[in-house]
Amino acid sequence: MIRKLFDIIANNAVPAVFIIISAFAIPLSGFSASYLVQELLTRIGRNSFLILSLLIPIMAGMGLNFGMVLGAMAGQIGLLFICDWGIVGIPGMVLACLIGTPIAIVLGIFCGHILNRAKGREMVTSYILGFFINGVYQMVVLYLMGWIIPITNPNLLLSRGYGVRNAVSLSGIRAVLDNLIPTIITNQEGAKQFLNINGAGSFFLVQLPFFDGAIRLPLATFIVIALFCVFIMWFRKTKLGQDMRAIGQSQSVADSAGIPVNRTRIIAIVISTVLACYGQIIYLQNMGTLNTYNSHDQAGMFSIAALLIGGASVSKATITNVFVGVVLFHLMFIVAPMAGKNLIGEAQIGEYFRVFVSYGIIAIALVLHAWKRNREREAARRSLRGNKGGNE
Amino acid sequence: MFVAFLKFLMRWFQRLVLLAALIALGVWLFYIGREHQIFLDNRTLGEFKALEQVNVSINDGEAVELMLRERGVKKVVGPAFELKAEVFNEDGEIIKTIMKRVKVDFSKDIMINLPTFTGGGDDFIVPAPR
Repeated sequence: MIRKLFDIIANNAVPAVFIIISAFAIPLSGFSASYLVQELLTRIGRNSFLILSLLIPIMAGMGLNFGMVLGAMAGQIGLLFICDWGIVGIPGMVLACLIGTPIAIVLGIFCGHILNRAKGREMVTSYILGFFINGVYQMVVLYLMGWIIPITNPNLLLSRGYGVRNAVSLSGIRAVLDNLIPTIITNQEGAKQFLNINGAGSFFLVQLPFFDGAIRLPLATFIVIALFCVFIMWFRKTKLGQDMRAIGQSQSVADSAGIPVNRTRIIAIVISTVLACYGQIIYLQNMGTLNTYNSHDQAGMFSIAALLIGGASVSKATITNVFVGVVLFHLMFIVAPMAGKNLIGEAQIGEYFRVFVSYGIIAIALVLHAWKRNREREAARRSLRGNKGGNE
Repeated sequence: MFVAFLKFLMRWFQRLVLLAALIALGVWLFYIGREHQIFLDNRTLGEFKALEQVNVSINDGEAVELMLRERGVKKVVGPAFELKAEVFNEDGEIIKTIMKRVKVDFSKDIMINLPTFTGGGDDFIVPAPR
């Protein structure tokens, strides 16, 4: 009984810590419910696709794919090209995905081959691989673009004539997916005001009588995310998905069963990298600005942190973990600075606290996972010895 | 052996068709999604003299008012647009309204010489200034 209770606490320790911290931080921040809901909806739309792209490698027993930054870089290269060519709107976004896809596939295959040579150490390998490809990316973007790779838009280039600027405006595709189906949730009074200002027919209006304020819902982005969730659920049931799950359980057993382990692992990484490419494009269309040399780094770290905060582990993650994680992680982002300011008079303290807790939680999650795995191994060993105990 | 070879060929054929479809999709997206800068030029070009005042609107958008020898710029998305020019006389009365569908195709920016456009000339599209 105590052991069961201990297991439940151990399994949900990370989200529980965040829920407790949020319960204290939300009232301290003084934000209204409608503001928090609006911010959370925006951030769910912005980040969920990226985090969902991490699920497939976990299913294949490859841990958290720190190599997702490779896909993010591919997406950014696609975005740089559409900015240069002046392709705007949804066609621009889709074209960026089209350009990014082959780059992401090649990087995914490369990453998969390397991870197959580093079985059991996939996370640290993919993390370092991210740094390596980041170097290649920087060389391409900083030296080759505008010199060997033609970039004609002078607004993109550094003053020396080659290399892309540190910050690139994505005004052509800013929020195009989020505003594709403009939807506003408000009460009756708010609905009247909106109709007076904008006229009927320019947006979907959802009236909630008990709701105070008005929030803008990125409905099209949510539909894309929902489709992706359906894809993951369907994919789990396919032959390839079952193979991945089998490999995730035991590589040696899967190999004995005739499953091409290495090939399946490469496919898992390729799918994850391609989806991370799309996720980064969705993320950046919401932000509206591309931080050429840093955006991808942040994408990897934030996504993994959010997934772990959602209660996922290195070996098991679900769609629920993704959404719980993105809500809890980003709730901290929203409320921590203001809570810090109201509590101590210094917003920066709250921000430091958030960074400390958020990234500390990654370390805790990884330590918990290692500890749990060791405990399971010990239990398995003990059961083989017939529960006799001792160290003979 | 032959069947295996046929299967191999078929697989590569399918891949090539998919690749061609994706490239075609890319080209189509490029075509329909490109943003163009349309420079509007109210200056004398050849036999067509600059207009006293001309109001120009693109795709029924907000009109740009151009006086004698003035230039303006508008942005449009897509390979073609509807250009409407209203020519005014010195008393401020509309003396002519011209509407035409203008094709930009794959080119990035173009300049439209309004006196040529309203005067019925064919070569109203001139290279955009750098």
